[in-house]
Formats: sequence, C-alpha cells, structure tokens
Amino acid sequence: MNVALFVTCLADHYFADAAADTVRLLRHLGCTVSFPEAQTCCGQPAYNAGRQGEALRMARHTIGVFEDADAVVVPSGSCATMVKKFYPRLTGGTATLADRTFELGEFIVHRLGVTELGDGLAGRRIAIHQGCHALRELRLESEPATLLEGCGAEIVPWEAHDECCGFGGLFSVKMTAVSAAMADRKLDTLPEIDWVVSGDGGCVLQLDGRSRAREMGVEFVHLATALWRGAAAPGGAR
Amino acid sequence: MPTGIRDYPARAREIIRKDPLVRESVTGATIAFDEKRRRSYAEIDAEAWRRWAEGVKNHTLTHLDRYLTEAEARLEANGAEVHWAEDAAEAREIVMELAQRHSVRDVVKGKSMLTEEIDLNPALERARIDVLETDLGEFILQLFNEPPSHILGPAIHKSLQQVRNLFTEVLRTDSDADPDTLAQAAREALSDVFIRADMGITGANFLVAETGTVALIENEGNIRLATSLPRVHVAIVGIEKLLPRMTDLAGFLQLTARAATGQPIGCFVSLIQGPALHPEDDGPEEVHVILVDNGRTDVLAHEHAWEALRCLRCGACLNVCPVYRQTGGHAYGYVYSGPIGSVLDPGLLGLHEAMPLPFASSLCGACFDACPVRIPIPELLLEWRREAQEAGLTPWKERAALAGLAGMATRPGLYRAAGKLGSRLAGTGMARSLPMLGAWAEDRALPKPSRRTFRELWRAGIE
Amino acid sequence: MTGRERILARVARATAGREGLPHPGPLDVPPADDPAAAFVKRFTSSGGEVVEPDPGRPAGAWLTAFLEGLDPAVAGVAIGPEVPPERRPRLPEVAAAHAGAGVSAAWGAAADSGSLILPSTGGRAVQLLPPVHVVWVPEGRVFARLEDALAELRKLDEDLPAAVGLHSGPSKSADIGQTVVTGVHGPGRCIAVMG
Ligand code: SF4
Repeated sequence: MNVALFVTCLADHYFADAAADTVRLLRHLGCTVSFPEAQTCCGQPAYNAGRQGEALRMARHTIGVFEDADAVVVPSGSCATMVKKFYPRLTGGTATLADRTFELGEFIVHRLGVTELGDGLAGRRIAIHQGCHALRELRLESEPATLLEGCGAEIVPWEAHDECCGFGGLFSVKMTAVSAAMADRKLDTLPEIDWVVSGDGGCVLQLDGRSRAREMGVEFVHLATALWRGAAAPGGAR
Repeated sequence: MPTGIRDYPARAREIIRKDPLVRESVTGATIAFDEKRRRSYAEIDAEAWRRWAEGVKNHTLTHLDRYLTEAEARLEANGAEVHWAEDAAEAREIVMELAQRHSVRDVVKGKSMLTEEIDLNPALERARIDVLETDLGEFILQLFNEPPSHILGPAIHKSLQQVRNLFTEVLRTDSDADPDTLAQAAREALSDVFIRADMGITGANFLVAETGTVALIENEGNIRLATSLPRVHVAIVGIEKLLPRMTDLAGFLQLTARAATGQPIGCFVSLIQGPALHPEDDGPEEVHVILVDNGRTDVLAHEHAWEALRCLRCGACLNVCPVYRQTGGHAYGYVYSGPIGSVLDPGLLGLHEAMPLPFASSLCGACFDACPVRIPIPELLLEWRREAQEAGLTPWKERAALAGLAGMATRPGLYRAAGKLGSRLAGTGMARSLPMLGAWAEDRALPKPSRRTFRELWRAGIE
Repeated sequence: MTGRERILARVARATAGREGLPHPGPLDVPPADDPAAAFVKRFTSSGGEVVEPDPGRPAGAWLTAFLEGLDPAVAGVAIGPEVPPERRPRLPEVAAAHAGAGVSAAWGAAADSGSLILPSTGGRAVQLLPPVHVVWVPEGRVFARLEDALAELRKLDEDLPAAVGLHSGPSKSADIGQTVVTGVHGPGRCIAVMG
C-alpha cells in the first residue's frame, strides 16, 4: 500500500526519531512510504486559538499537498483529528482528505488489520497516556493498548490515563499554572512502570517537560518508537 | 455586576500555589461525583436519553415565547402570581416589593444559582431581612462568607477539617466531631427556621408549561420545607427552564440526578402548581414565580451559543473537567464556573466581560461526553475564541504570531527554515526570553529538539 | 411596553430566524415486568425501607405495634388527612413538629425512579417534619415508570394538587467532606408500607 507520511511540526523538530520509526514500521508492514516535502503545519494552533481564517489557509495548503495520496498516516492523534474532524468543519465538508487520513495506531489496526507486531516489548511495563483528541474526537481508545500488548508489553492501569495532560497548545502558555497542575495530576498518579507511551508529541512535551522540571525521571516514549521496538525482536512480523 | 473574571489566570495560579487544599478537595470530590455519574449512565441507554433530552430542550427553546405564555397562563389559573424581570435589578426589586408587602423578616432559601447571579442576599440583608441558606453546603458557605465554588456541591472546596474548625467556632461542636455530628449541629441550628420564616425563596430546575409546575430537585428536604411551611413561596426562574409537558419531567428529573450525583432521582422532588388550595392543612398562601431574563435572550439570539441554554446546571461538566479540578469555581470569578461557565458567561455578560474564560480550556472534550443535554462545549469555546480574535480581545503578539505561522505554513521553504531556527532557539537559554516559551519555562523544562529534523533524516535516507 | 412584553419580543426575535425543532415525543424506556418488585429494589437501594403489614392483623393495630417497635419508640404521631381510618395507628396525635413519626398515604409510586408520590393534600408537615416518615402505598398504585405516573397525574388537570412531592429515600447530604449523612432536614427514615 502506498502511504504518505504527514509528519507534523512537533514530530519533525522534537520527535524526529519517532517519525523515522513511523517510516520504518510502515515499510516493515509492507507499505511504500512517501514524504511530500511541501507539507507544513496542519493549522491546529490557529484553529484552537480561534483564527479560523488562517487555519483554513493552512488546511487548504495541506489538502493540496496530499491531494494525490491514497492514504495519509499521521503519528499524532491531535493533528490527525485536525485533518479528520476539523478540516471538514472549516471547509464546509468538502475535505475528502479527512477520509484518507489515519492516526498511526488506527491505520495499523483498522486499515492494515495488524495487531501482532512482534514480542520486542516482552516484560516491559507501560502506562498509556490517551491523548484527548484521539480518544474523544476520533474515538480511538483500545488501539494503542492492543498494539502494545501485541508486542508483549504489560499495560499497567493508570487512574488518570484518559485525563488531559494540560497541553492544549496555546493553553499551556496562556494558563500555565493550571496547565502544570494538570500535568502534576497525571504524574502524581503514575503507577510503577518502565515507560509512559503516548501517540501525541504535544502531550509528551508537556508531561516530560513537567516531569523533568520536577526531576521525576519518568521515561516517555512515542507510540511509533515503542511499536518499532516491539516489532524488532525475533518472532515478530519483522 | 462587576465580576472577577479578568483575573482568572492570576487567581488560578494563586489558588494552586497558596491553597493546595482546594485543589485536593475539589479533585477528590469531583472524581467521586464523576465516577458515580459514569456508573449511573452505564445503567441506562445514556446516549438515547441524552439525545432525547437535547431534543426536548431544542424544541422548547425554539418555541420559547409560546411556552412562556402558556406557563404564565397556567400558573395564574392555579392561583400563582407571575412576574417578569428583565435584569438582576428588576428581579431584586420584585423580591423586595414582595417582602415588604408581606412584612417579611425571615427568609429561608433553597440552593439557587440564579439568586447568586442576581445578588439577592445582600439586597435582602440591606433591608434588614434575615436570610438563611438552608442547603447544608450553602449554609456552610454562608458561615464562611464565601460564594459557591460549584453549581451543585457549593462547598466541595472545603475539607472536613475546615468545616470542623468552622463549626467548633460558630456552633460549638467538638473539634474532632464526625460529619454526622456536624450535620446534626447544623440541623439544630436550622431546626425551627422553616416554621419561623415568612418567606421561602428558591430557584427552579424546570417549569412545565402545560401545568405551570415549578419542579425542584434536592436531597436534603430543605427545599420541600422552604416551599411548604412559610406563608409565601417565591420561585426565581430563568426563562430557559421551560419544559412543554408534565411527562417530560420524568426523563429530565432522572437524567439530571444521574448526571449530577449518579442517583436515579433526587431524594426529594417538589412539583409545585400554585398556592395551597382549600381544604389543605398547610402550604403557602401565595406562590410567586419570577421569570428572569438577565442576558438569556442575548444568549438565545446568538447563532451558536443558544445551545448553552439547554444546561440543566447538573455540574457534570465541572466534575469531569481537568481544568476546573485544579482550582474549583472561585478562580473563575463568576457564579457559573467550569466548562459551562466558560461558554455561558460570555453570552450572559458579553464576551468582553468574560475574557479570558473561552481560553480557560485545553479543549479536551470530556465535558461534552458527560453533558446530559449534549451541549457542544468545545465547539462553543472555539466559537467564542473566534469572536474574541475578531473583536481584537486577544493579545496582539499572539495574533501576530499565529498570522506569522499561517504565512509560513503556506510557504514551505520559509516554513522549513523558520521551523528549524525556532526549535533550535527553543532549546537554548534564549528561549526564556521569548514570549510564549518564557511562560512555558516557568513551570516546565524546555523541550529538547531532535539532533536532526525528520526532514534531514528523510533526505539522508531512513534505514 | 412592559417588561413582560419586551422579554417576549426579544425571545420572539431571537428565535425568529431559527428553524422550529420538533418535540421528540415520549422517552419511552422499556417498563419493568413487575413494577412492585422493581420499586422495592430501587427504593431500598436509595436508602428507603419497605415493610409489608401483617395480613393477619387489622392495619391500624399492626402499624401501632410497628411504630412502638421502632428505635426510638414512637410515642406521638402526626397523621395525614388522607390516611383512611382503618390504617391509622392508635397512638396519641401531636403536631408534626413534635411527632416521632409522620404517617401519610401516597397517591402512588413509580418503580423506575423508586419514588413515592405524595400529594400536598396528604399534609406537607406530616410528610416532612417528623424524623420518620411512614407511607401507605395503596395496592395496585405502583407505576412501572415515572413517566406513566406523571401522565396519570396530568389527567387530574384542574384537580392537580397544589404541590406533589416525590420522596425517593431519606434526607441526605454529602456537603461535609463528601461523607453522606442522613436526616439533614427532612425525615432521616422513609418507610413505605406496601398493600
Ligand atoms: S453544561 Fe451540561 S454538564 Fe454542564 S452543568 Fe450544564 S447540563 Fe450539566
């Protein structure tokens, strides 16, 4: 299958390795991956700030960039939501890109029909941070756990797993004290684990930033990297 | 009425930093409420109930003038008196006039957010009328001299110990009294007030047009008492509270309770059609219903925000809200706090007055999933943000930055160069002097940029 | 123009351009098969109590013994005007504010919400002031759904009581440190007598 990667700004600059792992994983699963170089930002920062005009300009740009792609994979639940849910609102429902775009976990489970990647995560205890957009806009709830367990990981229950980390883009800098307190609620309820895995770079920036400020030493791993590691061991599909 | 909304970010910070007990109490209480709500929703076909409730409210709100006049006619036929108040001042005047007419000296109140909204108690007190809040939570706050922090559990920001200390001081209970003993002390302090009072003042959860029924939900029994024993009952009702039919109440009474506290229904519901009829032994001689606008018709006229008028004031959106949980309601500076406050206040008060509440959300969407009448709170927040941007109510630096982002994002070459520069700068000590990153770095370590961008990795070839 | 007219005019203007949406009709949840049993389950899980009178004894005598057997034993009662003579306890009648128990008769009950439906004609003080409230629920008056009960009430039309109370358990509050306490203002015990 031909897939185009929409890397997103944060992954491009802060999670480049996770983005590269996305490419590796998709190739490993038999996809031919392209990377349209004219891609930029999905426009969510403007959209969430109420700058709909600018968001629409960025949406049009992105829609143009991926015009010919059969399937677009996004290693971010939040940016995938922007394309799948908010582009149709902005463009008045004309964005067919929405139907061709998939969040990474969603793509693997539902489009490729794969849930067993390997056993490279055997013995690893993982808590999953469910990003709000993937969870409540795209209704992707079980996918990360299915895939990680499919790699042999043990998913450790976390009472705050589905609570917002407090990132929210502009929110994190406008309401910084509240935002940090929200991250604390997540961090303070973390069970004994090896990694926190999240499919969203933004949430990781927030939680990791707060965890490092408090010198908590929690290890955050992007879903793409975790899955690539999971697929890496012998016996897997790799 | 001047509000403290403008200072939301500063007050939120202060509560979080200086009064950590508030965060602890509010988080604990709201999580407990929310768990009950979830369990209770799971017992019914919650999606079907929510869609039904949304439908009934939408129908009512799009035929509101008809139902208002129908309710009025029915109430009058039942012997109640109906008053109309365009704003808070008028509503207060009507109550004051009624109090004078009946030489009222003692008022007992049931919990009502609308009476907070119209600032009723201070007006009564200025006229030397004794006003007693009889809901236990409101009674506690009246002693603390604080406004409610939550539309349903007004005192959830107070810990048991704080209530203990207060009661020891005021009601002379033991310093280690358990909640039962404290409640008993409150009950004694309030024991004969219902018999003594000349007037009971309540809000209303619903007003049924076809029967003129004022419906009130509660758990303690104080509202039933306040509407049964004093000579005069005054119900202060927002014009959005209408329901068409008596049978509609069945769904709404149960859904409200499930959303609010996870109960199948409130322990007590009062359905009041009018004053006592002969040959009843007791009950009020007069029932007055004050229909209050106070900004509601402005909300109704708004293309999108009118949907917020479906609100049942159940508090479910507050309970599930991770933003609200950090501070409780006082940070918001107005009676309606949390998610619903952030979309309702701009409509009631004017957007300018309600800034920056539409931005006090990470848009996590949990509120919509909890809301029994499916108010699209995240979408309404975005709508208010859009209007705030258009009206120039946001900082110009922020607007410039976002315009810059859009400018670059539609020019890939420029975007690449600027992006690289930006993330490199963000990783250096210079970041703290950049406007937004400076704020970020107050509470968090700066993000670490990747050694090479993905674009660079891609060009070099990914193995 | 009066304030009333101005408000109504604003409402009309606000909704003028908006499509009038239809009422979705009844909620229509599936009714319980055995309403009486469903009521008992719901009412007791909300903290209410249910008793059945001893069929071998006259109702009034049974209730007298029942009230005397409560802890604390009831000495004086307040009795609602709608309680039929044969169902009245033989105990001294006192004002509701001083009674150990209030005895009233329900108009009916609703199974799905677990509610006793109490008309104001049954005496409000009796239903609210004493610490224990004992309610006769007439046979065959348990509606499967609150919706059905309200539809029935609605039919009374002009004869609707001035007020109707739904009591679905004892008075309670969680306002102090989130701990549930009972009997805050209204009755701390609410006992339905079935039959
Ligand atoms: S907005 Fe919805 S959830 Fe929030 S208080 Fe109103 S009805 Fe309840």
